[in-house]
Amino acid sequence: MTEPSPSLLAADGIAKRYGPVVALRSADLTVGVGEIHALLGANGAGKSTLVKILSAVIPSDSGTIAVHGQRAALRKPADSMAAGIATVFQDPALIPDLSLAQNLRISRLDKDDVLPWLERMNLGHIDFELQVSDVPLAVLRLLDLARALARDPQLLMLDEITAALTTDQAEYVFDVMREWRDRGRSVLFISHRLGEVLDLCDQATILRNGTDVAHLALEGVDEAELVTAMLGEQLVEELVEAVASPTATSPSAPTVTSEAGQPVVLAARDVHLRDKVNGVSFELRRGEILGLTALEGQGQDELFQLLSGDHRPSAGELLVNGERLHARSPYDAIKKGLVLVPADRQSALLPQRSVRENLSTPLYNRASRWFSLADDEKARVDRAVARLDIDVRAGSQVQRLSGGNQQKVTIGRWLAAGFDTLLCFDPTRGIDIQTKSQIYDLLKEVAAEGAAVFLYTSELREIPLVCDRVLVMYAGRIVHEQAAATATEEMLLTAAHDLDEASA
Amino acid sequence: MTAVSQRALVTGTQAVWRRWLRRHGWTFGVWLLFLGLVAYYSTLIPSFGSFQVASIVNNGTPIVFLAVAQAVIVIAGGIDLGVGGLLVLTSVTAARLMEGQSFEVTLVIAVFVLFAAALLNAGIGWIITVSNVPDIVITLGSLYVFQGIALSVLPNPGGGTSEGFRWMFTGSVRGIGSNPWPAAVMITIVVLVAAWWMGKTRSGLSLYAVGSDATAAYLSGIRAARVKIISYAVGGGFAALAGLANTAIAGRGNATTFGGNLTLNSVAAIVLGGVALTGGIGSLIAVIPAGLILFFLSPILTAMGVDPSGAQIIQGVLIVLVMMVTGLIEWRRQRRS
Repeated sequence: MTEPSPSLLAADGIAKRYGPVVALRSADLTVGVGEIHALLGANGAGKSTLVKILSAVIPSDSGTIAVHGQRAALRKPADSMAAGIATVFQDPALIPDLSLAQNLRISRLDKDDVLPWLERMNLGHIDFELQVSDVPLAVLRLLDLARALARDPQLLMLDEITAALTTDQAEYVFDVMREWRDRGRSVLFISHRLGEVLDLCDQATILRNGTDVAHLALEGVDEAELVTAMLGEQLVEELVEAVASPTATSPSAPTVTSEAGQPVVLAARDVHLRDKVNGVSFELRRGEILGLTALEGQGQDELFQLLSGDHRPSAGELLVNGERLHARSPYDAIKKGLVLVPADRQSALLPQRSVRENLSTPLYNRASRWFSLADDEKARVDRAVARLDIDVRAGSQVQRLSGGNQQKVTIGRWLAAGFDTLLCFDPTRGIDIQTKSQIYDLLKEVAAEGAAVFLYTSELREIPLVCDRVLVMYAGRIVHEQAAATATEEMLLTAAHDLDEASA
Repeated sequence: MTAVSQRALVTGTQAVWRRWLRRHGWTFGVWLLFLGLVAYYSTLIPSFGSFQVASIVNNGTPIVFLAVAQAVIVIAGGIDLGVGGLLVLTSVTAARLMEGQSFEVTLVIAVFVLFAAALLNAGIGWIITVSNVPDIVITLGSLYVFQGIALSVLPNPGGGTSEGFRWMFTGSVRGIGSNPWPAAVMITIVVLVAAWWMGKTRSGLSLYAVGSDATAAYLSGIRAARVKIISYAVGGGFAALAGLANTAIAGRGNATTFGGNLTLNSVAAIVLGGVALTGGIGSLIAVIPAGLILFFLSPILTAMGVDPSGAQIIQGVLIVLVMMVTGLIEWRRQRRS
């Protein structure tokens, strides 16, 4: 492997941070000529960021990129295209209000450039006068691919192209990828489906926490080895220690049985939302912390939108305390005691207002409270501040608080207002370990006091620490359920990839 | 599942008809409304004839061109409150420079004013892209700046133009008469060329692309900043055309006309013409009858015996109704799919 093979693309020490969040620490990636190269990593490892940097959609903070040994300055997407790189992004880059033909024209392409590729993908009969917004997502992905191929690139980058495709459509993509390799060109392939990766790819680069941790030739490697490489050997001891506070006394197994007798506060019965949520059913009991995990884009966002009253299910029903939920907006869900801590803290808070004001916003819902709060409500806000251990001195503007403290305020709002069921969407993303453990304690406390918690998290190691039970979602369905205490990261990640071992 | 999605990609006759309706139905409808209103007007006025038609077409020319200016910019995702100010500025500049000149010289001046206005408004577009200040704020500023410059160019109403130049826009050397053809032909040619450019060429389609989905456009390799500047330049050119028409009709310039009212008319006209204020959707062809209807509404209402304040109320209600109809159509389409 040390022999210098001719490299098509060499990215060296690529780093990128968004404010305090480090997306890429220092990533190296070398793609040889005539190979299909997999870029792997867990959620948030930095794969998409790296692809965007290589496509010159976003600039890197540091690092160098060389194409065919020549250093390339990629400032705008056109530079990357000129260097022979064509990308199919996770979201289709087609203009919704224009027809397919018009979209080709703005890409300086003609029908005849893409037709040979579309025919290969069984789309040769497509009507180019269709408006993009009327075309199904899967077909748009294939059109995007045909458009990228028509540019005849040296390197084709495919970011999660198969996620939206049916099996036969995915096969067309694989055929095209193999042909591309046979022509002596290269493909950079990102996929959560490890089976595909092992079938197709020659080499793999694995990212973890924004750094490349492994470069492998994939021959003779199996899925378990890839999963281990993605997760790393890093132990979670520090985290376990931080969380093993005296409040978390009872072991999980007995807790589950004690909750079995509790009433069901929230139930989903075969719930659908368009093609994103495809028949989800579960029950959440009083005092229970139910975990949910999934790879990105498996319908978890939409499921939480349903539960929080943002959308109504297109089929199936949601029951709150046995009554059907008819939510026209989150207001209705909140009235039923169903409250959400969303993924984006900024959108949940009033960033320029004080901690106290933010904590009291849900209390202003009643018209009699438009001007001032009753004394007992003020006391509740005080108690929430004390309980969350928020530093109020720096709290004249919530936006000045650290991410962790902001998150405490989003949870604290509901503590002050009162609730039955707390929906948390990835509440610990980008938060320091100490605040994380405080949030874990808080969730356990509210559950011990009789509330129910439904927690989506992308951090698998949180699940056995916080939850009683865990669900795994894949392609809009619940594919796996188990007691959280016995769930290991390997089991969850395998289930999240919908690999066979999980259901066996 | 695959079979269904495959079928949806091949278009049957019914779907072709529905698609035509969706793409051009609004344009068709506004033209129909305009012709209907003209027909109705002809029954109200006993002496209806070519003089009335010429009056509608000629006097409607400035608002039509100003609406096209606004449409080009709004389709590309912006909005220009300054177009009315630019109309006044170009009108008084032309009137001052053209006074006492021969037809040939006034033509050269017209071309100069046209390009100067395009360049000036391109500068406004450039300021928006580099400063990242919202369009509406910068162009609110440009409205007052243009108005102020216009007042210093021509403090009191005056100036003039050549007879030939007046004929070009009004079909009459005195600016009043019964000949609608020069104005009608000019509107048709200029707007058709602009509509062809926007709908068929890469650079024109880029305007729709940026207005529709700026991120997707960027990922397709379109340079959004340049497209925005182009849209402001083209819009500036059309605003100047409106200003020149204004000078030709009045035979002089008047900087005390407030451009803000004209801007609001242009926005009302594009809304009626089916241009989405969120960008990416709209047809310049539909903006022609929309602008004419807006101009034409008050004479009709006067003929019907409604007093002028009533005319304004009806105009306002009409704009809101149009927006509600647009919303209803969109809502029904989403429910069907």
